[in-house]
Amino acid sequence: MSELKENLKAQIIEQLNLEDLTPSDIKNEAPLFGDEGLGLDSIDALEFIVLLDVNYGIKISDPSDAREIFHSIDSLASFIESQK
Amino acid sequence: MKLIAHSYLNRKAAFLNGVKVAHADSEQPNDFLKTYYRELTIDYPKFHKMDALSKSAFISDYLLEPFYADLVDLENKLQLVFANNDSSKQTDLKYIESYEINNNPSPSLFVYTLPNILTGEISIKHKWYGENCFFIQPAFDAQFFADQAMFSFLRGNDYCLCGWVEMNGSENEECFLFLLEKSADTFEIEQLTTLLKSYRNE
Amino acid sequence: MDIFITGLGAISTIGNNVDEIYASLLAEKTGIRKGTLDHSMKYHVGEVPLSNEGLMEHFKLKTKGSRTALLGMVAAKEAFQGHQLMDEVRTGLISGTSVGGMDITEEEYRNYLKTETFDAEKYKHHPSGTTTEQMAEELGITGFVNTISTACSSAANAIMMGARLIRSNQLDRVVVGGTDSLTHFTISGFRSLMIFDPEWCRPFDETRKGLNLGEGAGYIVLESEKSLQLTGKTPLAKLTGWSNASDAYHQTASSPEGNGAVLAMTKALSVAHLQPTDIDYINAHGTATPNNDSSESKAFINVFEGKVPPFSSTKAYTGHTLAACGGIEAVIAVLSIQNNVLFPNLNHTTPIEETGLIPVKQITRIENVRNVLSNSFGFGGNNSSLIFSKL
Repeated sequence: MSELKENLKAQIIEQLNLEDLTPSDIKNEAPLFGDEGLGLDSIDALEFIVLLDVNYGIKISDPSDAREIFHSIDSLASFIESQK
Repeated sequence: MKLIAHSYLNRKAAFLNGVKVAHADSEQPNDFLKTYYRELTIDYPKFHKMDALSKSAFISDYLLEPFYADLVDLENKLQLVFANNDSSKQTDLKYIESYEINNNPSPSLFVYTLPNILTGEISIKHKWYGENCFFIQPAFDAQFFADQAMFSFLRGNDYCLCGWVEMNGSENEECFLFLLEKSADTFEIEQLTTLLKSYRNE
Repeated sequence: MDIFITGLGAISTIGNNVDEIYASLLAEKTGIRKGTLDHSMKYHVGEVPLSNEGLMEHFKLKTKGSRTALLGMVAAKEAFQGHQLMDEVRTGLISGTSVGGMDITEEEYRNYLKTETFDAEKYKHHPSGTTTEQMAEELGITGFVNTISTACSSAANAIMMGARLIRSNQLDRVVVGGTDSLTHFTISGFRSLMIFDPEWCRPFDETRKGLNLGEGAGYIVLESEKSLQLTGKTPLAKLTGWSNASDAYHQTASSPEGNGAVLAMTKALSVAHLQPTDIDYINAHGTATPNNDSSESKAFINVFEGKVPPFSSTKAYTGHTLAACGGIEAVIAVLSIQNNVLFPNLNHTTPIEETGLIPVKQITRIENVRNVLSNSFGFGGNNSSLIFSKL
């Protein structure tokens, strides 16, 4: 699980062009979206959906389902695990 | 009308009012915008998400920022007039690759396949609510910009931020921004062309 | 100075010309159905049922061009029908487009991937500006020719610019509007943004899921009073208000309260010297995405202080034609004024809970449609409003 989380952080930084960040800047439990977190927005959420499809073969068809899944690295990792 | 300030950048260097403020001369053409961002110590994480068109306009606009401080009600009294010839071609091609070759259309690339996203980015950054438009034209046309600025002043605006932004993947990539202010002074339109030519070493 | 409208032209999935489109509107007949092309067959779209060759043949077009240019030629020629070019009347063409010659580029790109041969000639159709040049050639217009690319507000901005060029005495007559064809490019893009409704779109409905794309073109001819004396054309309506404002919120999403939309509508009213109560019908942007319709509804309530005039989105007829929508909907606005009829917002059952606004739901004839407000909002937060008025 912790390896998955580290991979996710690296993938997110690359996919979302978060060039000023390193994986250690992203806390597992911190919110990814909104002003308190990484400040990601709706387009980033859509890129997440592409990332899950390409890297993990998981398809999300309704973006409104994604809000809880994409809350944090923790929630994202648990979701990916649950799909295996 | 009068010219308050202008900025220019190409692959070699960035200038504010004729003074070089950052230098790239990068072997890798894609890196020059990032080089300016770092050299100018800009802090705007969303910069990295933008395409080259928006990035170049963003940096050029950043250079003009010191001149905004003294101007009144830019939120409502400023109009953006931008133009180029190749629209968002470079991003269009990257985005086509994302669905034709990778079969996975990228939402963040698709967003930037519209040239007017750059005027949107500048408006978002400053919270400017004025009019903005993006024109497609064969070449830089000083008279066109001056006309648009004049019309803008006639209908009550006080400022016009104009830009010629060509980021098409060629060696001639450039971004030229100039801020015009309503005033009774006579304006030498040709000075815009002269400035651009001097930067281009023509 | 008054700006007169002396020509209308449109092509869309609901008709090849203005008369056919008007008949479909009255018959409450949508043109949106399952796509017929490789890239459109999985979606509900508003396709024009003629191929490029079919368009050239059927409309006897002389100039070759991309699909976007051909659709533009058809609509612009219809609008310019009966008009003569003459030296005394300075005539221009301003056209909005977002995809330009993309359909040909895509075909060539796929061909290149397969054969690795490259035909540079084909890519010459690509630039948005070329689309307009090809149209100008077909129309014979050699004066002021310009292209605007501001996403879904392109055509509305072209109309606004035309009005200003006439008012400032730069032009006497100008053909203005927009054109866009359906391409793999846009279909993939909106798929990636996940804002398609897999079924028929439902503008301003609580259960709306997203938009259906369409293709087409719409143009109107604007003339000054001086020009009317020379051309002898009979005006159909006037263009009295126009405005553009930035939403300054997000690259694609509208601000929750529709700040840019409020500014655009308010300023258009002030350009037209009209009060909110003078508006008899609003042809909304109404794309049927959750975000646009909620934001636009709130902007209506704000601008009209709760007393929102009859409004509808006609995108459930035509699909969202992107850069062309402001042109097609300008034609629809003039049809409303000419015939004193309000067109329905198809597929509506449940009002949006938060605002409770109910659009026009069936063909409604009223005594006098004096002024119609038409909205077009584009990505980049580029919001435009136009006002059309009875003579």
